[in-house]
Amino acid sequence: MKLRLHTTPEVPLEAEVISPDALQGLSESEAALLPIYHGNRKVGLGEFFEISGRVDESEGVVEVEGDLSRVKLIGHSMSAGRLVIHGSVGAHLGASMKGGEIHVSGDAADWVGREMSGGRIVIQGNAGHMVGSAVRGSSAGVQGGEIIIHGNALNEVGNGMRRGLIAVGGNTHDFTGVNMLAGTIVVLGRLGMRPGAGMVRGSIVAMERTECLPTFTYNSTIQPDFIRFYLFHLRKLGMSIKDEFINGQYERWSGDSLELNKGEILMYAG
Amino acid sequence: MSNNTSVVKNAVCTFCGCVCDDMELTVDLDEKRITKAKNACVLGRAWFYEHKIENYPVALIDGKEASLEEAVDEAARILVNAKFPAIYGLSDTTCEAQKEAVAIADYINGNIDTTTSVCHGPTGMAFQGVGESTASLGEIKNRADFVMYWGGNPAEAHPRHFQRYAVSPKGLHIPNGKEDRTIVMVDVRTTQSASVADIFLKVKPGRDFELLWALRALVKGAALDSSVEETTGIPLDTMKDLVERMKSCQFGVIFFGMGLTMTRGRHFNAGALLALATDLNDYTHFVALPTRGHGNVTGADNVVSWQTGYPFGISFNRGYPRFNPGEFTTADVLARGEIDALCVIASDPGSNFSKKAIEHLRAIPVITLDPKPTVTSQLARVAFTTATYGINVRGTVYRMDNVPLTTRPAFESPFPSDQDVLSAIKERVCELRGLKHASNRMTRQTAKVAV
Ligand code: SF4
Repeated sequence: MKLRLHTTPEVPLEAEVISPDALQGLSESEAALLPIYHGNRKVGLGEFFEISGRVDESEGVVEVEGDLSRVKLIGHSMSAGRLVIHGSVGAHLGASMKGGEIHVSGDAADWVGREMSGGRIVIQGNAGHMVGSAVRGSSAGVQGGEIIIHGNALNEVGNGMRRGLIAVGGNTHDFTGVNMLAGTIVVLGRLGMRPGAGMVRGSIVAMERTECLPTFTYNSTIQPDFIRFYLFHLRKLGMSIKDEFINGQYERWSGDSLELNKGEILMYAG
Repeated sequence: MSNNTSVVKNAVCTFCGCVCDDMELTVDLDEKRITKAKNACVLGRAWFYEHKIENYPVALIDGKEASLEEAVDEAARILVNAKFPAIYGLSDTTCEAQKEAVAIADYINGNIDTTTSVCHGPTGMAFQGVGESTASLGEIKNRADFVMYWGGNPAEAHPRHFQRYAVSPKGLHIPNGKEDRTIVMVDVRTTQSASVADIFLKVKPGRDFELLWALRALVKGAALDSSVEETTGIPLDTMKDLVERMKSCQFGVIFFGMGLTMTRGRHFNAGALLALATDLNDYTHFVALPTRGHGNVTGADNVVSWQTGYPFGISFNRGYPRFNPGEFTTADVLARGEIDALCVIASDPGSNFSKKAIEHLRAIPVITLDPKPTVTSQLARVAFTTATYGINVRGTVYRMDNVPLTTRPAFESPFPSDQDVLSAIKERVCELRGLKHASNRMTRQTAKVAV
């Protein structure tokens, strides 16, 4: 099935029905009636999107095109299939996602894959704040699955993350892996200030050196096998990984000593 | 000055979050102005003395004089027709008016947000994440022997805070006032407030989080590397000494201001400070309180939380409240050009928001309620002149420690109160939308039960 934005929304749209789960088995006219919110007005999906074809049974592919930067909640709670987005998307992409794959060719706004528990989200461009984070007031963020950002990401990547993998091709801003419970964050560029603040367990890997908080301590310089595995995996997914990262040494800092001190920040050391 | 004067005792000053309720106002009833404000500080005196009843029109539509009814109708139409309207401001009005504003947001399926989102919003988020150990200012006055101010300048922003609540007053268990207290000030620069401090810590700009984190580690007994001095600007020995004083006091309090909440780290800075206070409760009694600026911004938090479950940054677009700072906060929805109407109560975003936000403010219909013309009211489609809360309007305001107080107005204003205007807009919104308003709904339900 293909969706093309034919009318630019005046105010943000909230369209969680744009997901293979919700569109599966529907005809074009049935899909056009699915409810979305244009600000505070409930309207049909067809009022903003031209819909063609059906979601195929086997692969469950939905393609979306147009300037979707004001369309929020695409792929919400998605459990299977493939959502291919040509362009940039608004906030909460793949929020609470359980399975399947989302691919975005442009940028994504804040809250990509917040509280997801399975599946994979790939963003070719940059992402906003709160990638794979917990919502305000909740303590657990990503519970599983993978988020791959080829560009940069802003603050609070993986806030409260419990399991899974978040990889960022560029740099992140402040508080990467804040309050992390477990899981892995790989940043091929530089971490912003205060990485891993309040982390309990989990690993944050970065290719450039950043100052650690006073509650983190340096223990050793090592070459952990798991980093090789992760980097090979990311290379397979299309990220450009230098050979020296795969074979390199990493400084290991453990923290946050205000919590269990069982988390680690690993920084490439050549 | 005429001879027709009256004196209002125990009046309430609503200029800042201290909400001093010991004012003695002398009022010239013919000239309708306050000629003396006994007990008020310099800011309070300016607030009382400068207040005069001006000859503004009660309402303007597109800059032209209009009747109250016309303006109420136009405002209601704007809000009902909008697809993503927002209501903002509310920190300088009564709780009674704030309650009406929340009701309107609910009826129009709009956003409700207050100036908290641009001052202590991060604190609100930190309360949710970390929790709050708190006390009233009265308890602090009577018990606190360790008082710390972090990232604020009360001497200039809350002039009576020292004298009335936390530094010099004698308390039940603090018989000698300041002598019995240890006063600590943490800031990036030496302000006027620093002169009262026994200990002044000049933290490097943008390093509050690191310092708080280091103090937390010391409270928990962890060893720290001496490099922490380079990072924070505070020697490790000074930190250790401070922590010992904190642990060994009888009752400690940390007041914190926007120097902490509006600098890099924001809600994590506030969270780190609240967590430090919580950690110290393993050793002694310790509390932390934000020093709030506007007279009733604390009331706004209370009313909005009581009505929606969240303190600020809320959207009702789906008919129920959703909270998400950054997504629904006014400065952000304006800067991203998202909302299509804005109602501002007692605030002036047109003069203090970002350039991008103000650009959008100019492009959408705006409604303002303010006692005087502001930058925002001048670009508004509908502008109401309202009576000044506290001086002309009776109502409830909350002091920064969440203690509600009733104002005692000095004299009457010819203008309607914010509450009057908002409740008229609410009624009109309900008519336009074909809704029965809340009180009717209640009666209907009660009637059903009775049958
Ligand atoms: S401290 Fe604040 S409330 Fe008290 S008199 Fe001064 S301005 Fe008014």
